[in-house]
Amino acid sequence: ETKLTVANWLPPSHPLVSEVIVPMTEQIAEATSGEVTATVLPAPLGPPPAHFDFAVNGVADITFGVQGYNAGRFKTTNIAEIPFLGDSAEAISVAYWRTFDAMLKDAGEYDDVKVLAVFTHGPGEIFLKDGDPSDVDLLKGTKLRVGGGIVHEVASTLGAVPVEGPSSKAYELLSQGVADGILFPYESVSFFKLIPELEVGVSVPGGLYNTSFYIVMNKAKWESLTPDQQEAIDGVTGEALARMAGQMWDRADAAGRDAMDGATVITPATEAQITAWSAALKPVVDAKLAEVSETGIDGAAALSMLKAEIAAQQ
Amino acid sequence: MSDAIKSVELEGQTSASPPARLSVTGCVLGCLGGVLLIAMMALTVCDVIGRYLFNSPIKGASELTEILLCAVIFLGLCAVSLAEDHVVVDLLTDKMPASIHPAREALTGVLSGLILMVIAWRIWVYAAQIAGYNGATTNLSIPIAPLGYFCAICAFAGGLITAFLPLKRAFLHAKH
Amino acid sequence: MEHWPVGMAILTILLFIGVPISFALAGVGLVGVVSIIGWAPSLALLGSVFFDNGRDYTLSVLPLFLMMGNFVVQSGIAEELYQSAYAWLRHRKGGLATATVVACGAFSSVCGSSLATAATMTKIALPSMRRYGYPDQISTASIAAGGTLGILIPPSVILVFYGILTQQDIGRLFLAGLIPGLIGIVGYAIAVRISLKLQGIDLPTEPKLPLLDRIRALKGTAGALALFTFVMGGIYLGVFTPTESAGMGAGGAFLLMILKRRFSAQRTLMVLFDTMKTTAMMFFILFGALTFTNYVNMSGMTGDIQSLITSLTSSPLGFIVIVLCIYLLLGCVLESLSMIMLTVPVFYPIAASLGIDLIWFGIFVVMVTEISLITPPVGMNAFVLRSVVPDVRLGTIFRGLVPFIAMDVVRVGLLTAAPILVLLLT
Ligand code: NA
Ligand code: NA
Repeated sequence: ETKLTVANWLPPSHPLVSEVIVPMTEQIAEATSGEVTATVLPAPLGPPPAHFDFAVNGVADITFGVQGYNAGRFKTTNIAEIPFLGDSAEAISVAYWRTFDAMLKDAGEYDDVKVLAVFTHGPGEIFLKDGDPSDVDLLKGTKLRVGGGIVHEVASTLGAVPVEGPSSKAYELLSQGVADGILFPYESVSFFKLIPELEVGVSVPGGLYNTSFYIVMNKAKWESLTPDQQEAIDGVTGEALARMAGQMWDRADAAGRDAMDGATVITPATEAQITAWSAALKPVVDAKLAEVSETGIDGAAALSMLKAEIAAQQ
Repeated sequence: MSDAIKSVELEGQTSASPPARLSVTGCVLGCLGGVLLIAMMALTVCDVIGRYLFNSPIKGASELTEILLCAVIFLGLCAVSLAEDHVVVDLLTDKMPASIHPAREALTGVLSGLILMVIAWRIWVYAAQIAGYNGATTNLSIPIAPLGYFCAICAFAGGLITAFLPLKRAFLHAKH
Repeated sequence: MEHWPVGMAILTILLFIGVPISFALAGVGLVGVVSIIGWAPSLALLGSVFFDNGRDYTLSVLPLFLMMGNFVVQSGIAEELYQSAYAWLRHRKGGLATATVVACGAFSSVCGSSLATAATMTKIALPSMRRYGYPDQISTASIAAGGTLGILIPPSVILVFYGILTQQDIGRLFLAGLIPGLIGIVGYAIAVRISLKLQGIDLPTEPKLPLLDRIRALKGTAGALALFTFVMGGIYLGVFTPTESAGMGAGGAFLLMILKRRFSAQRTLMVLFDTMKTTAMMFFILFGALTFTNYVNMSGMTGDIQSLITSLTSSPLGFIVIVLCIYLLLGCVLESLSMIMLTVPVFYPIAASLGIDLIWFGIFVVMVTEISLITPPVGMNAFVLRSVVPDVRLGTIFRGLVPFIAMDVVRVGLLTAAPILVLLLT
């Protein structure tokens, strides 16, 4: 019997843990008839950005995290994080996995680990303390709390004043009035208890950005498993795991959106807004695709495949 | 009022850093660390003023703060090691006979120094790993590895000092 | 995997023969982790702990609040503050120590960290108390204990962590900390009186000053009040966040030093050198504690404890008593943030299933964490004092803290008996 450890930096109640990671460990045990079991460590081993290397170095056997936390390391994630990709995390995640499996993995960014899944959360939307949701210049001069990477560039390109800080500080920034709004998926607004602070929501068709996640396993540990065990685990991870994660984010987004009832009024973005923002963000998207192409992958082709796979699932 | 200043400066003295002037090494460390700390403070002040008055915060202020913080910690380790100011539990050691202190301090010093050198080695290896994938900060794309090498060097120097000072005392004591 | 008690024992021995706390924790933690996952991964983890945690934006408040405190001291307003306090309290027994406790509480309302509160208040309060003849045992204990209020009176780093871990509203948690914090101030003031009585110390009390003189003495608080208002006002008007307030406060204190005509290159260099050293000491203890925490995390200790508790009791009060005992024991050896990160995930689902209000439980957890900061052998607030004033023995500080710890236990009992005191404002 092989015992795997799973590193976790989120609260155990977070849906990514309770509805993805824990079910994944159960499915691994079931698929291998109990020969391979995985247990989630009770406390974090280190800060979130350290988790990819934890898997590389075998500190834990399975780790998960956000590629964007290791800036400079992953360029192919750009494909899945650009604006206007889709409204369903499930569709994007499954398409992302297929594109990864067919093309992106050749960039070699994940060669030090066994990849169990890559996926994205639901579409990132606009939330503000106040303002006219139909204004094309809605974000001009608005102080927006953003994370790093693409969302930072999206915000500044649309004229916002980016206020930096970890997501755990979002409440502090908004309630203190340091930030006027935030770019977040519905789920995160609810999870970080921001709903009472935000009266205006603008839902952007396809989302203004996405965040890419990984679940990976230590390579030596993977190779120590028997071919039968590997096949069994491959059967419950990969596309199946990406789908499960995407479904979880969709459920969490729906719950988050429900929780906004009567507190945050959500208005769809107007035609004028969409046209203006698409045009403004075009250079950002092009620059991101160029970065992907630096890895030797055809960025434009990968994006076409991703979009086709997303469309195929609607 | 000058009493208050004096008493504070006295505290400085007891922490092995003379109030009137620091040693040359202390001065260099103090100036370097001082620049980093003032930069950390100025960064926040300018970020807030820029954001509040001119709607233009400093891009990457928080990641610059993180880099400065890390550098201050490891530079400070050298200063702490030089002053032999590591925090210890003195509940029992105070009750031990004075004659065993040189040997005891040599033992604990070498042990601590070794641990610090292992830490230095591992930070160096980790930095090299980060350099391998061009790890950089999120918004300003500042490479992280050089900071790691700096921290490793500081930790190694701290380890050498921490082991060497009590060893030297123990040798001098044995000679007499 | 049941060797964690051995690790604890070795740690205690190393600490008692005088190995610095940071390296004892790191060494035992490293060897412990090696015994579980082997050399290569353990060494990789060690590098990550020491390098990644040093780059944490939130922790930047530590050196900046230290720097603010140091500049405040250099500007001379600490002395003025204590002269004002003394003018008002000089006819009372232990008046200045009581004033220290009150000042700690006030400072806690702008500082989210107990360590930074203790460090700052040491700089301000200890020289004055020494000059007025207070024995170190009482003056250091009143600061170490008063400093613990930093994580109970909002804002609080620990409450934010708890809120994230348990998905509780951080704003409600902050409100809930207010009344227990005020009770804490009263409790510590009583502990000061008890200490004086127990030690049979009769500090000379001076005749009460006429009211007009006392009001005139308030002038000395102007500088401190201005800085306090600047920091507090900045936070509450939303100009900057509590995290940023540390940098703004340091800047304000620096400006104050210049305005008070106390600026000199030499003095500034001393402040910065001192700040850097104290910062390094604290962070290395934190890194050591985090290394040790990784060992505890992997050793299966948490799981052992969870199954033990559920086998012992099913009543809420029984659970609280058990958890209190566990925290008192764990709090002896663990650093506060590590303790929260390790135990809250284990305890809060049990608490919720027993119908215990999770806001109340958060305040309870913070109060027992406060106790852990001042109990030997690993009492972070005592270490902070020791690192700011190296000529005081830890034994002296810990002996002086006994009455304060007793008052803390009384406070926990009171808030368990009357949870309304916690939940009233929420
Ligand atoms: Na506080
Ligand atoms: Na303790």
